[in-house]
Amino acid sequence: MDAYDEDPRGPQGPDGSAGTRLPEEPPAPPPPPGPTAAPATEAAPAPEAAPAPEAAPAPRTGVAALSPRYQVGAALALAVVAVAACVHLLMVFLSLAPANTVTKQHGKAIEEWVYPEFEQNWKLFAPNPLQQNIAVQVRAEVRMRDGGLRTTGWTDLSAQDGAAIDGNLAPSHTQQNLLRRAWDFFSATHGTDNRPVGLRGSLSEQYLRRIVVMRLYQDDPTSREGVIQRVQIRSSTTNVQPPPWSRERVSDKPVYRLLPWWSLSSDEAAGGVR
Amino acid sequence: MNRLSLTLSRGVARVTEAALGPYQSAVIRIGFAGTWMLFLLREFPHRQELYGPTGPWGWNLAKELTADNHAFTALLWSDGRLWFECCYALAILASAALLLGWRTRTASVLFMVGVLSLQNRSVFIGDGGDNVLHLMAIYLVFTRCGQVWSLDARRAAHGAAARARGERVPADRTGPLLWAVSGLALGAATLTGRFDNGWLIPALLWTAWAGLGLWWAVGRRAAWEQPRILLDVIANILHNGALAVIMAEACLIYATAGWYKVQGSRWQDGTAVYYPLHLDYFSPWPALADLMSSSGTILMLVAYGTVMVQVAFPFTLFNRRVKNVLLALMMVEHAVIAVVLGLPFFSLAMITADAVFLPTSFLRRLGDLAARARGRLARRVGRTVPAQRSPEESPTDRVGFTA
Repeated sequence: MDAYDEDPRGPQGPDGSAGTRLPEEPPAPPPPPGPTAAPATEAAPAPEAAPAPEAAPAPRTGVAALSPRYQVGAALALAVVAVAACVHLLMVFLSLAPANTVTKQHGKAIEEWVYPEFEQNWKLFAPNPLQQNIAVQVRAEVRMRDGGLRTTGWTDLSAQDGAAIDGNLAPSHTQQNLLRRAWDFFSATHGTDNRPVGLRGSLSEQYLRRIVVMRLYQDDPTSREGVIQRVQIRSSTTNVQPPPWSRERVSDKPVYRLLPWWSLSSDEAAGGVR
Repeated sequence: MNRLSLTLSRGVARVTEAALGPYQSAVIRIGFAGTWMLFLLREFPHRQELYGPTGPWGWNLAKELTADNHAFTALLWSDGRLWFECCYALAILASAALLLGWRTRTASVLFMVGVLSLQNRSVFIGDGGDNVLHLMAIYLVFTRCGQVWSLDARRAAHGAAARARGERVPADRTGPLLWAVSGLALGAATLTGRFDNGWLIPALLWTAWAGLGLWWAVGRRAAWEQPRILLDVIANILHNGALAVIMAEACLIYATAGWYKVQGSRWQDGTAVYYPLHLDYFSPWPALADLMSSSGTILMLVAYGTVMVQVAFPFTLFNRRVKNVLLALMMVEHAVIAVVLGLPFFSLAMITADAVFLPTSFLRRLGDLAARARGRLARRVGRTVPAQRSPEESPTDRVGFTA
């Protein structure tokens, strides 16, 4: 609690530091810098609310005001909260720390405590920031109104996202995270042979497929005129070129990862993803 | 030994008699609630695509995943469009109520329900900012974050002043009504089996509800002073514990980010900052990014400075001055990140997390400025006849900060 200890030069309330002010009392009026300066908590047009009630005795609080019987209850509460807070922080710490002797022994208990509500990941740009632009591209096989099948060219959905982000002060999660993280999810739950791993693998496939179908029906002229039958997705990974003043050289050729053609469910084909 | 027990008893008295850091807890309440509210308003046109039942992460997919990971979300209680719209609107209202400090404890619980419901509904569209909000929404429930800068504090002050003048203060109707409605909602959710997926959040909701009822009950009779004080002490202990956890969480965020960066070759060779600036998903201003990365020396200084500040921050808490300098640095860095990497809500959430370490004197000065600005604004708006201008009225020290 020392982290925000009071500034000794700052204005102090009559009850000592503001940090220990009792919550039941009206806010202590700070030394008035101007005639109309009211404390922040007061309504501006209610200066009569400012003076503390002189007559009323201050309400008693804290363990000192409790009878011994109730003090036991307070001590118990203090112990429980202190232990819970320490255990919680320890669990979160262990979930963030690299694999070690303790996490190897108690991994299950840590996971059960932390997941799902206290899950966290603060390694966005660590140990190294991402140094590649990964673009998700899609093409579709579309049944046209005349009954013919047409295969569209590749549409770069990530390039569309990038264009939407350019010059944008507050990019939407739909532009910045939706496709990017769906691809992360997909690659994390699939082997290099593009086979899904577990429940999440199959969920990630449906998710990715639904995103690209929604996007094609939104923007692709051919898809909008017909009914999409199948889609194929590929990722294109390009190295970010090193800074001009650096002597490093990396390839600027994109590397593709091609996924198999996926058939759509009837709901997806009918444009049910919105 | 004597000294040790004296210190201990002083410490116990300190954490039981008051909810510490009233201004710090108020500023994070306003910050997190405001960030989430702005985010929800910004995404309002995209709400279907992100969280709706027919969005890419469809209702059935989310149902399968939450059945597996037991995350709490009210959004999956029904796949109806109306239910979704109601939840989204309620999440906005709850964040507005928390921001203003209206029925703060209830608002904080509803805020948490809103944050968890939306984020757990679609876990794969969030980023670090959502992660911070998720954790802090849970922690905030345990704090007494409406002691200052809130409608609750204003109401309490008005009531106390009226009592001091010997006036009768009418009994509160809104509180019991709110409590009864939430009780009905909790009961309905429990009886229809909506709480069967994971026990943690339902237990927290019921406990908060029972606690609020108890608090109201013991305040009604003078004879129940001892139980009332005990509840007050418990609320203080919970608040202080939660505030400590919030601060430790902020330290963990920086420590994790910092210590893992130390191991990265790009952070070591000083080019790390260059790469995010040139990712298509994080470069809304390519010209600005090019300008910032034109000098290798500056990039290296920023990279090393970032790592040093992040690693050092938890340790500087033991020295107020150094801590404040680092705090200012980190807030500025996050403000830059907001614009340059196009992450305004992440940055706002992180700046808010930093704000829990701001000194009280600074926060009070900020509050005074805000109150003065608000007073001036109210006078200007409510002016039907040309009102007299007060002498200190000058537009120079206006801040865009309203509580």
